[in-house]
Amino acid sequence: MSRIQIDSIRCKGCGRCITACPKDLIAFSQELNDRGYTYVDFTGHQEDCSGCTLCAVVCPDQGIEVWNFKDKQTFVNTAGLTENMTHYCPGCTHGVVHRLTAEVLEELGLLDRAVGIAPVGCSVLAYEYFNIDMFEAAHGRAPAVATGAKRARPELIVFTYQGDGDLASIGGNEILHAANRGEKFTVIFVNNAIYGMTGGQMAPTTMPQQKTTTSPLGRDVETTGHPLRVSELLATLRTPAFIARGSAHDGKHSLQLKKLIRRAFEYQRDNTCFSFVEVLSTCPTNWGLSPDESDAWVESTMMPYYPLGIFKQPEAPAVAATGASHDH
Amino acid sequence: MITDTATLMDTEVLMAGFGGQGTLLAGKVLAQASMEEGREVSWLPSYGPEMRGGTANVIVCIASKPIGSPLIEHPRGLIAMNLPSLEKFAPKVKPGGVIVVNQSLIDKDPRRDDCVVISVPSRELAQQAGSARAANFVMLGAYVGATGAVSVEAVEHAIAAEFAGDKARFIASSVAAFRAGVEAVCPRS
Amino acid sequence: MSKVLMKGNEALGEAAIRAGCVHFFGYPITPQTEVPEYLVKRLPEVGGAFVQAESEVAAIHMVYGAAGVGIKCMTSSSSPGISLMAEGMSYLAACELPCVIVNIMRAGPGLGGILPSQSDYFQATRGHGHGDYQLIVLAPASVQEAVDLMTLAFDLAEKYRNPVMVCADGMIGQMMEPVEFPGEGRGEPFKENDWELTGRKGRARRIVNSLFLAPEELFQHNIHLKEKYGRVHRDEMRWELCGGDEPYDLLLVAFGTMARICKTAIDEVRRDGLRVALFRPITLNPFPLAACRAAMDAMHAKGQVLTVEMNMGQMVQDVRFAAEGSRDVDFYGTAGGIVPSPDQVAAEIRERLAGVRATTPIRLWSGAGLCCEAQGDGVPCAGTDGTCDTCGRAMPAPAAQPAPTGA
Ligand SMILES: Cc1ncc(C[n+]2csc(CCOP(=O)(O)OP(=O)(O)O)c2C)c(N)n1
Ligand code: SF4
Ligand code: SF4
Ligand SMILES: [Mg+2]
Repeated sequence: MSRIQIDSIRCKGCGRCITACPKDLIAFSQELNDRGYTYVDFTGHQEDCSGCTLCAVVCPDQGIEVWNFKDKQTFVNTAGLTENMTHYCPGCTHGVVHRLTAEVLEELGLLDRAVGIAPVGCSVLAYEYFNIDMFEAAHGRAPAVATGAKRARPELIVFTYQGDGDLASIGGNEILHAANRGEKFTVIFVNNAIYGMTGGQMAPTTMPQQKTTTSPLGRDVETTGHPLRVSELLATLRTPAFIARGSAHDGKHSLQLKKLIRRAFEYQRDNTCFSFVEVLSTCPTNWGLSPDESDAWVESTMMPYYPLGIFKQPEAPAVAATGASHDH
Repeated sequence: MITDTATLMDTEVLMAGFGGQGTLLAGKVLAQASMEEGREVSWLPSYGPEMRGGTANVIVCIASKPIGSPLIEHPRGLIAMNLPSLEKFAPKVKPGGVIVVNQSLIDKDPRRDDCVVISVPSRELAQQAGSARAANFVMLGAYVGATGAVSVEAVEHAIAAEFAGDKARFIASSVAAFRAGVEAVCPRS
Repeated sequence: MSKVLMKGNEALGEAAIRAGCVHFFGYPITPQTEVPEYLVKRLPEVGGAFVQAESEVAAIHMVYGAAGVGIKCMTSSSSPGISLMAEGMSYLAACELPCVIVNIMRAGPGLGGILPSQSDYFQATRGHGHGDYQLIVLAPASVQEAVDLMTLAFDLAEKYRNPVMVCADGMIGQMMEPVEFPGEGRGEPFKENDWELTGRKGRARRIVNSLFLAPEELFQHNIHLKEKYGRVHRDEMRWELCGGDEPYDLLLVAFGTMARICKTAIDEVRRDGLRVALFRPITLNPFPLAACRAAMDAMHAKGQVLTVEMNMGQMVQDVRFAAEGSRDVDFYGTAGGIVPSPDQVAAEIRERLAGVRATTPIRLWSGAGLCCEAQGDGVPCAGTDGTCDTCGRAMPAPAAQPAPTGA
C-alpha cells in the first residue's frame, strides 16, 4: 500500500494526473484553491495505490510526491527547481520539461556548476524556477550567449532552454552556427508548434493547416513552407555530437525523454561537443484544447511528422535523418 | 431609469476578475453601447504576463467630451468579479461611487460605507438565464441598473452586435443575464 | 462613415490599408501583435499580402525589398524589435525608400517589460542605425490620431522618399476608442516615380544602393539628404498648444499618452484656479522647437516649464534646447511601464506652483508612492530618510535628486 500527497496549493487542476493514474484513484475536488483552480484529490482506496509515480511524473507543477508501501519516499520534488510556483498555464508541459532537466542536473551532481540560459518565450522566467545560476538572453540569442559563457569558463555545465519561435525562427542563425562549431553546451528545445508567450502566432514548427492568430485559416504550406524539423536539419551537420527528439505528453514518454536529457548532459560533462534534445510539448491555451486533448494532439498530429528518436550520437556514425532510430 | 443622455454624468468603471470571467468583453459591450448613444468612450485593458491564468481588468470611461486620461486611479464604479479584485480595487473607488460585488465568489464586505455597494449572485442568476458563463453580463446589468450609465436597450443592442454571426447562439442567454442583473437592482414594478 | 470602436493596434492596421498599404512584413511582439493579427485577415481582402518574417531583422529588409520595387508597405514592432530593425532603417533612409514603421513602445532597457513607455524617444529621434540620417517621427495621443497620422505617415514617406515612424506606446496600442477612417477601402498606390525597380524595359536601368566608395560622392549624398531633412524641418512640424489662449504660470510639455494624462490633470487643477497650459509635439522629429519656445515666451519671466514623460528624461533635452537657456526646464517622469495617473501629475503641478519643488528640478515618480494608496487614503507616499511619513514604509527609490542645471 503506497500513498501520494497532493499539494492543493500548487495544483492548477490540469487533470493530467487523473488521466495518468492507471487505477483511477485521483479526481477533481469540489473546491477552488487560492489561485482559483479546481484542485485534485486522492479519492480512491489507499490499498489500490501501487506507488507507480506516474501521477507525479506527469504533473507540470511539482504538485505530487509519492511514498512506497514501506513508507519510503520514492518521488521527491527535485532540489534543482526552486519552490516558486510557475506562471505556466494549467497542463502546459513546459513545467514537466523544467522538472526533468532539473532532476537530471541533480542526479548527475551538476547543480553547483550549471549555468542555464532562459530564452524569450513563455519560459522567459525559467530563471525563477531553475535553482541554479541563470542568464536571461535576448530573443533567439541564447546559443550565442552560451557560446560566450562556455568558451570563457569551460568548466561550467551550460545549457540553453529555448522555444521554437526563439530557436527555430529568430534564433535560427545562432543555433545553426553554434551546432556547426560544435560548441560544448546542451540545448533543450521545446517545440510546441506555436508562439506561446505572445498569444499564439504561427511558429516555423506549426503544423500544416494548424490555425494560429497569424494563420487564421490554417497554416498554408504554399506560402509559409512546411514545418521545420530542426533535429533532422541539425543532424545533417557533421560536428554536433548528440541530437535527439522526445516528448513530454505522457508519463512513459516523459521518462524516455529524461533519459535523452541525461545523455545530453553526460556528453557535455564528458567534454563531448554539442548536445541537443528537442521536446514535443503542449500549449493547451493557444491550441484551444484541454490539457488532455493537447497531450492526445501531440501523439496524433505532431509525432507522425516529428518522429521521436536519436538522430545523431557519438558512438554511431551519423544516420540520415529519414533513417532515424526510433526509441519505441 | 435615466435614458436621456444629455443628463448623464461622466463616469468611469473598472471591471476586474480572473482571466476567463469575461470582464474585457462586458467592458467592451458597455463602451460600445455608450458610443452608440453618442458619448465619448475609452476601453483600456490591463495587459501583461499576469493575464496568463491571472487577472483581467478593464477601465471603461464614458464622457460627454473627449476623454483625457483613459487611466483612472480612483474610478466612480467598480465591478468586482472575484475576491482579489475587490480587495485590490474597492479602496480606490471614489467616495459616493458604486461597487458591484460578485456574491457567487465573494463573501466579503468591501467596507465602504461611503459607496453604494450592491451584491449580486451572478452565477445563479446567469444559470437561470440560461448560461452560467454569462455572469459577466449579470454584473454589468446590475451596474447599469444602479447607475443608469447607459440605457438598457443600448446594451442589449451592443450584446447582439458583439455576438452577431457564428456566435449568435450566445445572444439570448447573454441578454437574459444582463436583464436579470438590471432587475436585481431595480425590480420591475 | 460612422464611428467604430476599435483597438489602437487594429485601427493602425486599417488606417494603413486606407492609406494604400498593401504589404506588411513583421514579427510578433507584445504589445503590438494585434497589428499583424489584424492585417493577416484584412490584407488578402484588398489584394495585399502579409508575411510573417523570421525576425525583425528580416522584416525590415523585406520592407526594403518591397519598397524598392515601389510598393506601399510597412512593418510594425515594439522596442526590442525596433532595435533589431536599426540596420534596415539606415539602409532604407540611405536609399531613400518610402515606408512606414510603427513602434508601439514598451518599457526597457533590455527585455524590460511589456507595459507602456516612452523610453525610445532618443532611439526614435536620434538614432537607431548608423550614419547621418533621420526618420520622420509622429506621435499620436489617441486612437483617432493614430489613424490620422498613419495616413499622414504614408503621405510624408512618399513626398520625401523617407521612412516614417509612427511612435505610440502600449496604452494606445491596446486601448479601444471610437474611430472614423478616411476614405473607403484600399487607398492609392505610390504615384509614378523614377526610382522603383520594375525591370528596365523601355528605360535606363536603376539601382537601389547605399554604397559610395568615393568619399566625394558619399559627401554629396549626405548633403543631398541633409538638404531634404532641412525641408522636412521647415515644412512638417506639427504640434498642439492646449490652454494657450489665457495666461499661464506653468507650461507642461508632453507627447502621446502622457499628453492626454496631462490634459486631465490640467482640467483638475484649473478647478482650483491654477493656470497651466500644455504643449504637445506631434512630430517628435522634426521637433517643433520654435513653437515650443514661443509657448514658453508667452509666459511671464517666473513661469515654469515642466516636461512630463514616461522615461527618465529624454524629450526634456529637446525642450531645453528650445529654451536655449532662457529659462529652466524641469522634468517629471516615470519608467518601467508605470503610467502616472492624472492625480499624480496634478499633485506635482500643485507642488510646483506652490513653490515646493523649486529646488528639485528632476523628480521621479517612484512606484513606492503606491503604498499609502494601498491603505485606501489615496495619498502618495512622501517623507524623508527613505521612509514614508504617513505609512512608515520604506520608499525604495529616492524621491528627488539634483539635476544638472542649464540647457
Ligand atoms: C526581438 C524580439 N522580438 C520579438 C519578441 C516578442 N516575443 C516574445 S516571446 C516570442 C515568441 C516565443 O515563442 P516560442 O519561442 O515558441 O516560446 P513559447 O512561448 O512557445 O514557449 C516573441 C516573438 C521579443 N521579446 N524580442
Ligand atoms: S497533474 Fe499536478 S497540477 Fe495537474 S491536476 Fe494533477 S496535481 Fe494538479
Ligand atoms: S501559453 Fe502555452 S506555452 Fe505558454 S504557458 Fe500557456 S500553455 Fe504553456
Ligand atoms: Mg513555442
